[in-house]
Amino acid sequence: MTIPETTSSITAPVAPVAPVAPIIPQPVEYAAETPVTGKVRLEAAWGSTEGDEDFTTTTSSAPKPEGQVFKPQYQQWNGELNPRWMRNWAILRHHLLGIFKKGHRPWGMPIRLYLLVVFIASLSDVGLTLVSALIGDSGLHSIWGVSRDNLYGHVLGFFPRNMLYYPVVAALLVGGVISEDRQHGTSALYFSRPITRFDYVAMKFLSVALIQGLIILISLSLYYFAEIATMGRGWAWIIDTLPMFLATVFSAILLIFTYTSIGLSLSSVSKGKFFPGIALLSIILGTKILAFIVSNLFDREILYLISPYDCLAHVGQAIIGTQPTYDQYSWTWSLASLVAMNALALYVLTTRVSSMEVTRE
Amino acid sequence: MATKPDSIYRAFDRKASAIVEFTLRQYRTKTSTWVVLGVGFTALALIFLIYIDVMSSEFESIDNDGDSTDYDLDGYPKGQELRLGTDPWDIDSHPGLFDPPIEPDPISMYINEDGFDWDITSELGSQTTGIDNDGDCLDSNKTDSQKDTNNNGVPCDIIVDFFRSSDGRIYSNIHADSGVDEDPDEDAYSREAIHMAFVLSIGKLGFVLLLGIFLPLFMATGLIRDEMSSGTMHFMLAKPIARSEVFLYRTLGYLGIVWPYVIVLGILGALISGFAGSGDAFFRFADLGVWLAIIFATMMATLVYGMLFNALGVLWKYGIILAIPFAAWELGMALLSMGAPDAMLLRFSVIGWAMMIVDAAAMIVWPNLDLFIVMGNWGGGGGGSGWNGQSLEGSGPLNFFSSKPGLGLSAFTAMIVATLVMLFQAAILWFIGGAIFKGKEIQ
Amino acid sequence: MIPDFDQQGKAQTKQWVPEVTAPAILLENVSKSYGRIFALSNITLALNGGVTGVLGMNGAGKSTLFNLLMGKLKPSQGSIKLFGTDPWKNPAPYARVGFVPEHEKMYDWMTGHGFVSTFARLNGLTRDEASVEANRVLEFVGLTDVAYKKIGQYSKGMRQRAKIAHALVNDPELIILDEPLQGCDPLARTTIMNLIRELGRMGRTVLVSSHILQEIERITEQIVILHQGQLLALGNLHSIRERLDQIPHRISIQAENPKELAKDVIDIDEVYGVSFPDGKNISIQTHNLGAIHSQLPRIIVDNNHKVSTIDNPDDDLASILGYLTSGGRM
Repeated sequence: MTIPETTSSITAPVAPVAPVAPIIPQPVEYAAETPVTGKVRLEAAWGSTEGDEDFTTTTSSAPKPEGQVFKPQYQQWNGELNPRWMRNWAILRHHLLGIFKKGHRPWGMPIRLYLLVVFIASLSDVGLTLVSALIGDSGLHSIWGVSRDNLYGHVLGFFPRNMLYYPVVAALLVGGVISEDRQHGTSALYFSRPITRFDYVAMKFLSVALIQGLIILISLSLYYFAEIATMGRGWAWIIDTLPMFLATVFSAILLIFTYTSIGLSLSSVSKGKFFPGIALLSIILGTKILAFIVSNLFDREILYLISPYDCLAHVGQAIIGTQPTYDQYSWTWSLASLVAMNALALYVLTTRVSSMEVTRE
Repeated sequence: MATKPDSIYRAFDRKASAIVEFTLRQYRTKTSTWVVLGVGFTALALIFLIYIDVMSSEFESIDNDGDSTDYDLDGYPKGQELRLGTDPWDIDSHPGLFDPPIEPDPISMYINEDGFDWDITSELGSQTTGIDNDGDCLDSNKTDSQKDTNNNGVPCDIIVDFFRSSDGRIYSNIHADSGVDEDPDEDAYSREAIHMAFVLSIGKLGFVLLLGIFLPLFMATGLIRDEMSSGTMHFMLAKPIARSEVFLYRTLGYLGIVWPYVIVLGILGALISGFAGSGDAFFRFADLGVWLAIIFATMMATLVYGMLFNALGVLWKYGIILAIPFAAWELGMALLSMGAPDAMLLRFSVIGWAMMIVDAAAMIVWPNLDLFIVMGNWGGGGGGSGWNGQSLEGSGPLNFFSSKPGLGLSAFTAMIVATLVMLFQAAILWFIGGAIFKGKEIQ
Repeated sequence: MIPDFDQQGKAQTKQWVPEVTAPAILLENVSKSYGRIFALSNITLALNGGVTGVLGMNGAGKSTLFNLLMGKLKPSQGSIKLFGTDPWKNPAPYARVGFVPEHEKMYDWMTGHGFVSTFARLNGLTRDEASVEANRVLEFVGLTDVAYKKIGQYSKGMRQRAKIAHALVNDPELIILDEPLQGCDPLARTTIMNLIRELGRMGRTVLVSSHILQEIERITEQIVILHQGQLLALGNLHSIRERLDQIPHRISIQAENPKELAKDVIDIDEVYGVSFPDGKNISIQTHNLGAIHSQLPRIIVDNNHKVSTIDNPDDDLASILGYLTSGGRM
C-alpha cells in the first residue's frame, strides 16, 4: 500500500487554471485514532477547507510532488511570569484546602475524620482547664492547669498523644504525598511548569507540617490562652510563663519537622499509598518499644538515641525545664541524634526528588 | 488436535520450583526487601551489642546481711565479731584484745558469703534446702529456737513451698531460718538471670513477635496483590495451574527468603549469647535448645502470618490496613501470654502457640527456671539482721518474660501440639486465601 | 464461523481431555455487566482455526471479551467454553492456549530468555526443556540476539514480541492477542503482523484485537466487530466492506441553485435518486459514495455552481453497521 498524500489546503492564491485531469481519489491512510467514517473520503476529495467558498482555488489542485522543509525558529517567550511565591502559594493552597474543600488535593475521608478527632482530643487539657475554672476546683486546676509538666505533656507526653495522636496524624498525612505522584506520574504536572524541584518538595513539606502545626500549635495556644482568660492571669504571670510556652512551641516545631522529614523521605522512596505511613509508625513506635524493652531489661538507656520520639522528649524536657526521665546521658546527645536523623531523612528526600523522572517510574 | 489428556494436577514440582525461583529473584530486585531485612538485622544487632556490653559489666555486690560493716568502729567487721564472740556494738569489745590478738578480716570476706546452694526442683509441695555457709546460724551461741525460726524442726534450713492456687498458677512461699543463705552473690545470680531473660525476651518479643509480624507485613501482603494491581498476574494465571497453587507457591517463595534469614539471625543470636553469656563455660551449649526453639517458632509464625497477610492482600486492595489491627491484637496476645499463659483467649491467636513452643523449650533446657526466679525474688529475704532483703537484679525481667506453656501439658507434648496447631492454621489460611483468589476477577 | 448451537460437550472429568469436536472458542449468549453497565451483551460466537480479528472502538468490549475467555472475569450470563471447558472453573485448557495480555507492565529485571523459560515451566516443562523451547520461540519471533538482555532495555516492539514468544512456548493451538500492535513503531508492526499471519498459516486458531481497521485487514480477512458491547458484524472483511458500499448513501449539498445542480448531477451513472428536502438543499442518493465524490467536484467547477456545504449524513460506523443488524434496510 503506497503512502498517499492528502490533497493540500490553500497555500497561496493562484489564478484560475484550465480544467485539469480528473481527480483520482487517493486512498487515505487512516490514522490510528480516527474512526472509520466517510468524512475522511469527503476530505480526501475536497481537501480540508476553512469555510472558503471559492472552490476554484481548492478543488482543482493536483497533489503536489514537492515537499517543504521548515526551519524551526525558536523564540523565547517574553511574557511576564508570576512571582515565584505565587506559584508556591498555589501548591501550598492546593494541599491545605484539600483538607476541607472539594476541588483541591483529595485527602481521604478517614484522614480528615481522624484529623478532626485528634484536634478535638488534644483540646482535652483546654477543656479541663475551663471546667476547673467554671467549678472553681483548685485541685483539678493544679493537675490540669498550665505548668511546665502540662505544657510538655501537651506536645510530648500523656500516653495517647505520644503514641496515638501525633505520630498517627503524621503517618496519615505523609502517606501518599510524594509516592502517589511517583506512582501515577502526576509529578509531570509540576515539573512541566516553571516550578523547581526544591519548591515542589518544600511546599509539600510545608503543607504537611502546617497541617500538623495547626493541630498541635493551635491547641497549645488555646490551652495557654484559656488559662490566661479563665484564671484571670496578669502580665506578671504571662512574663513568667512565656519562656516555657515558647520553649514548648519550639519543641512542637521540632517534633513536626522531624516527623515530616522522616515521613516525606519514606514517601519519596515508596510508590504505595500506605507504606510510608506504616513505615513511619513502625519507626516511631518500634524504636520506642525496642528502646523501652532494652532499658527495662538491661538498664541501658543508650538505645533511646535511635528513637525519634525519645530524642524529642529528652530535648523537650531540657528546654521546657521538666524533670528529665533520661538520666544516663545528656540531652545534647539527643539533640545531635535528632539532627543526624533529620539530616539523613532530608538527604534521602532531596536525592530522590531530584532524580525523580517526570513519568511513571 | 492432540487427545492426550491434560490436567492441572500434574508436574507440581516443576510449577512450584518455577514460581518459587521467580519469587526469590523478584524479591532480590526490590529495594523494600533489602530495607526490611536490613532494618531487622540492624535492630537485632544493636540489641546484641547492648547485651554484650551488659554481660561484660560488673554487678554491684551488696552485703545483704550487713555483716561487713563495722558498727562499733573498733576496726572489726560485725560478722567477725559475731563469729569470735565479741560484742559488735561495743567499741571496747573486739578480737584485737584476745591473746594472741586476731587481725581484722578483709571486708570482702563478709560480702556475698552465704548464697544460694539449693538442690531442690520446682515441684509442688514443701521442700527444705539451704546450707549456712558462713555459720552465723549454726553458731553455738544461738538457742535452738533461734536456729529454727521457721519452726519446722530442722535447724538452719529454708522451707520452699510451691503451691497451686485457685487460678491454676503456681506460687511459691519461702520461709528461711534466719542467717541461712542471706547474702547471695548478686553478680553470679544477676548475670545468669539477665542472660536467661535476654534469651527469652529477644526470642519471644524480638524474633517471634517483631520479626514474625513485620517480615510478613512488608513482604507477604503484596505477594499476589502487587501482581494483580500491575497487570502481570496474567502471565502466571494464563497457564494450566490452579489459583490456589499460585497462592501457595508464592508463599513458599516468600518463605525461601524469610526462613533462611531467621535461621541466620537465630544462629547469630545463639553464638553471641553462647559465648558472651554468663557462667564459667566457654560456650553455653545447653542454650542452643532454646535458640533452636526460638528459630522454629519464628519460622512457624512467619509461615502462618505470611499466609494470612497474603490472603488479606488478595481479599482487598488495601489489605495492609486490615493487617494492622491484627498485628496490634497479636501484640496484646503476646503480652498476655507472658502475663497469663493459661488464658483461653490465647488459643485463638497465632502467637500464643508460637510462644508456647519457646516456653516449652525453656522448660526443658532450664528445668529449674521457676526455682531460680523464686530465689531471685526472695533475694536473701532480709534474713539475718540485714537491711537489703530485696529481689536481686534480673529476677523481675526473668519473671516477666518466662512463663509456663499453658494447657498444663508436658514440655514435649506442648511443643508438638503447638506445632501441629500452627501447621493447621497455615493450611486453613491457604485454603481460604486460595478460595478468595479463585473468586477474584482480575482486570 | 456460524455459532454451532447443537454442540454437545462431554461431562467435565478430572482428567481434562480436549473435546475433539469442540470448537476452540465457544461463547453462548455471554453478557458481562458491572452494575447497570453492560460491558458485553449477548455475544454468541464460535471460532475454530485461522486468524480472526476482533475490531471495535475503545470501550467496545474487546478486552472484556478477552478477559472472559482467559478466565480472568466471570460472565454475568451465558457460558464460555475453551475447547469445551469453562475457563473460569478449570484452568486446564490453558495448556493449549497462549495469551498475550494488553498490559504494558513486564518484569523489567528478567532477561527475555529467562522470562519465557520461567513461565514455560508453569506448563509442566522441566528447566532444560523450557530453555530449549524458549530458544525456539525466541528465534521464531526474532529476538535471539537480545534474548539474554534485560527486558527493561527492550524497545516496545521487542517487548511485544517477547510477550508473544512467551505465549507460544507451549506450542498452543489457540493464541489470543490483546492489542498486540499498540504503541509499536511501523517496523515492529510489520514483524508482528507477519508473525500472526504465519501462525494462522500453521493452522492455529488466532484471535487478534485492535481498534484500527487497516491493521486488521493486513492480517486477516475474518473479522468480528464489537460496538458498545454488542456484536455488530461477523465474517469476511471484504463482504462486510461491500455491504457498507451497497447501503444507499446520501450526500447532502447546500447550493444556491439546487435545481440547476440537480440537472447536472443526475447525469452521473451511480446516482439513482435526487431529492429536495428544502429550498436550499439537494440530497443525492447513491450506492457508490466513492464514485460520486470523485466526479462531483468537476461537475461543480465546470458548471460554476455555488456550493456552500457538502455532507454525508449517515456515515458513522454505528449507523452503518446498524444497517447490518437491521437486515440491510435503510
